[in-house]
Amino acid sequence: MPLGLSAYVLGVLTVAYYFGVFSMAWDLLFGFAGEVNFGPTFLIGLGAYTAAILDNHGWPIVLCVLCGTIVAVIGGGLLALPALRLRGPYFGLVTLVAVLLLQNAIVIFAAVTGGEIGMTVPNVISADAKVNYWFALGFMAISAVILYGLSRSAIGLILQASGQDAIEAAALGFNVTKHKLAAFCISAFFSGLAGALLVLYMGAASVGTIVDISIGVQIIIAAVLGGRRTILGGALGAVILIGASEVLRPLGQLNTFVVSAFALLVILFFPGGMLGSVLRAGERE
Amino acid sequence: MIDVKQAATRCAAAAAMLGLLTTATAVPAAEPPIKIGVIGEASAVAGASITKAAQMAADDINAHGGVNGRQVEVVIYDDHSSAADAVRAFQRAANEDKVSAVVASYISEVALAIIPWSARLHMPWITPGAATTDISKAVHDNYDQNKYTFHGWLTSAFIAQSICDFEHDTIVRDFHAKSTVVMSEDAAWTKPLDERFLSCLPPAGLKVLDHIRFNPDTTDFTPIFNKIEGEHPDVITTGISHVGVQPTVQWHDQHVPIAMVGQSSQATTSTFWKDTNGNAEGVVTASAAAPGVAITPNTIPFTQAYQKKYGDTPAYCGYTTYDEIHIIADAIKRAGSTDPDKIVAEMEKTKYVGTVGTMEFYPKGDQYAHALKYGPGLVTGVVIQWQNGKQVTVWPRDKANAKIEFPAFIKSPH
Amino acid sequence: MNGLQLEQILIDGFAISALYALGAVGFTLMFGVSGVLNLAHGGIMLVAALVGWWAAGELGLGVYGGTLVGILAGILAAYLTYFVVVRPIQRSRKIPKEETEIFVLTGTLLWGIMIQGLLAFIFSDNPVTMRPLIGGVATLGGVRVPWNEIMIAVLCWLVIGLLWLLINRTPVGKSMLAASINPRGLTLLGFDLSKIYLLVWSIYGVLAGGAGVLLASFLGVGTPNAGQLTASAFSIVVLGGLGSVSGSLIAAFVVGYLETLTAYLVAPTLRPIPALLLLVIVVYLRPQGLLGRR
Repeated sequence: MPLGLSAYVLGVLTVAYYFGVFSMAWDLLFGFAGEVNFGPTFLIGLGAYTAAILDNHGWPIVLCVLCGTIVAVIGGGLLALPALRLRGPYFGLVTLVAVLLLQNAIVIFAAVTGGEIGMTVPNVISADAKVNYWFALGFMAISAVILYGLSRSAIGLILQASGQDAIEAAALGFNVTKHKLAAFCISAFFSGLAGALLVLYMGAASVGTIVDISIGVQIIIAAVLGGRRTILGGALGAVILIGASEVLRPLGQLNTFVVSAFALLVILFFPGGMLGSVLRAGERE
Repeated sequence: MIDVKQAATRCAAAAAMLGLLTTATAVPAAEPPIKIGVIGEASAVAGASITKAAQMAADDINAHGGVNGRQVEVVIYDDHSSAADAVRAFQRAANEDKVSAVVASYISEVALAIIPWSARLHMPWITPGAATTDISKAVHDNYDQNKYTFHGWLTSAFIAQSICDFEHDTIVRDFHAKSTVVMSEDAAWTKPLDERFLSCLPPAGLKVLDHIRFNPDTTDFTPIFNKIEGEHPDVITTGISHVGVQPTVQWHDQHVPIAMVGQSSQATTSTFWKDTNGNAEGVVTASAAAPGVAITPNTIPFTQAYQKKYGDTPAYCGYTTYDEIHIIADAIKRAGSTDPDKIVAEMEKTKYVGTVGTMEFYPKGDQYAHALKYGPGLVTGVVIQWQNGKQVTVWPRDKANAKIEFPAFIKSPH
Repeated sequence: MNGLQLEQILIDGFAISALYALGAVGFTLMFGVSGVLNLAHGGIMLVAALVGWWAAGELGLGVYGGTLVGILAGILAAYLTYFVVVRPIQRSRKIPKEETEIFVLTGTLLWGIMIQGLLAFIFSDNPVTMRPLIGGVATLGGVRVPWNEIMIAVLCWLVIGLLWLLINRTPVGKSMLAASINPRGLTLLGFDLSKIYLLVWSIYGVLAGGAGVLLASFLGVGTPNAGQLTASAFSIVVLGGLGSVSGSLIAAFVVGYLETLTAYLVAPTLRPIPALLLLVIVVYLRPQGLLGRR
């Protein structure tokens, strides 16, 4: 076993790594482009459900993942449309509604989607805990390098500028629309890809595990916990958040309460998140 | 709700989970115990029933000498009724706590998410309450992989059948009802339920005037009741689980003059009367068993012991969990080992007189492979009605301890 | 559609819309005056509903006693939200001013999850209903309506009317209005802003608590509803235009009636869909909401 960890710990970390990618992709949109986005699970859900449905029709896994990612990117483009017009909470509402509509659609078209109880996914990436672990870790590492690189490139700086003052950024001659659209597509690409890979790891897809608002909330909390505008913080936050709820499992039904309280304390006393405080201190010097 | 007794059992449960408390036992602890994982949500009435009944079953088995000289230990996990959480608990049970089998959840979404993991980890497990036919379908379609999955309650198709049989025996025969409207929440578990309703209600003597499905997030049921009333059925046949308290209270408050019978999962819990402020009066639902009714000689002793220990009556999945811990223990005993394939092979041979009836599983190759067999002499479930704050049993007729009575505002059937 | 059905839709939609309005009006007032979007809103409604239900039944205080205790619990929960979460974030020197809003959103979101978890631990996650404030059923022109439903609609409007009087006809209300337009100017005039904020949270507690208790009495609630309640208040408030009380009232009625119409005339399975689509369309065409200021 890698690092001498048990198959159970590997399983927990594997899920945490996929959530890490969700959080990093969310951070690119929210942290940098400044869009209040309650809808990460809209993009994830599109990728995951497309892959799960095609998998049930016997498509090869690679094609399932590819199509899932493409559908998510299209969804990202659709979501970008209102984002170019709307600000703050108004855009936040659209993202929230997008999730609710997707959730309703899944229930209404139960014949294809399995409805609210979800569906099993027969062909998975691998049944081996070690293979899944290394695959997820590798995927997260590559995503982290790309997303972090983007955030530190010109695109990231322009996004950050437009997030803080869109008019000024436009006045400086930057094509804010183009960059925002790009940010949405990139975020959707990673969300959808990770969503598709997650269901192909779990062997099942359901509203409660992929699309529900509470999943979105976990992703947001992980990103804020790790540190907004750091990209890598999202990965750290996801591992800590999911790890903590497993470590605290002996508390039984109260572990969610304790994990949330811990996250709230971090936000109150270290608003930069775990990575943010370190990185920002470095930048200031 | 927040009484001292409950708090005390909570503390005890927490202590047991932390391994501070070992179960008193008649067996010398020479060999390591056989562990059985139990996954349920303590905050949900049905979920709490699973973990409590499992603990009782283990205590009973240990008091009677354990299994092959080893004691049985249940390891309890709270899944917050979340599929993702339950899968992690399942992995922990299999890989970390090295349990030999698992009893998990009454929720279909959670059960479907666990199936692939039982296949990967070769971990026999049983759900004491989920209703979807997709569980046994997975076993049927891919037996070699999914044979570790058992469905320890009636599938929704059989639940519908039991309700048809009940309506035929009572509502049609005694109340001369001739027509019905099927009203169910738009959910995956009600698809096979409704399908069976539509095919078994007419032969039972009820013409189906309409089939109404509604959004499970509905909070205001007035439009639905009004529509049904306009169609003048003699009775409403329900298929609800996600909702329960709200439609019941509104049915009563608005004096909808038509009786509601069918599957109303929330109405099977002991707190339903309090949750609805007594508006449950007259509600009829299918369930696994009910207090005071001897489905088998085992039913009443279990109900009484449970009530004495927890001050509450078990939910439907409490009965099945209690039986299924025994079924697992018996299978391990017969197999003489905790080898998963041997446990599965022995579980398939189960013929166990439990608290809900004689339990057998449909064999490999059957459409409902590894689901509980339905029928007289096997498991039929019971149909209960809320009367004066108590659940009384009105079907099957030979087990019934009360006659159906409807509140005054009910004009039909009469 | 016949006359009777039209009447049913009108009556039924009115009651549910009035309840939506009461649930949303505190939320919008809070944003208007202090710029706080409180995502623990559903949690606070639940505290009032469950504590009220518990006091009415288990404590034996009866419906009216329970209602009172429930509303008090709502106020207490609102204060806790303010003092434990919102004020520390607003006063934190580590949080840049332009990011306060985002931190309040995340902080109250977490706080709401904590409330929900704790309530589920204490009360289990079963939905509960309060006994009706008044029993019996009235017949209005051939349509059966529980007196409780009529009473709840009347109470909702009574509370909203009182709120209007408070804001527009009293000095306290006027200072609140001023705070929403120009907080800094108000401080210069010697007003104590923190007192005004405390007042807003008190009023908010009464409104959210009252809405929670009435919801428990009319339709019933349980801990799993927390997110749904917050989302529906948030949608209505944004549709109406953030901070606009009258906008929220209109939006509540639009959403309430659209849902009821869909349930009656199209299909009960599609109940929430048209309202969701309308939200997207309105916000897209009129980004500031129905009556919002830009």
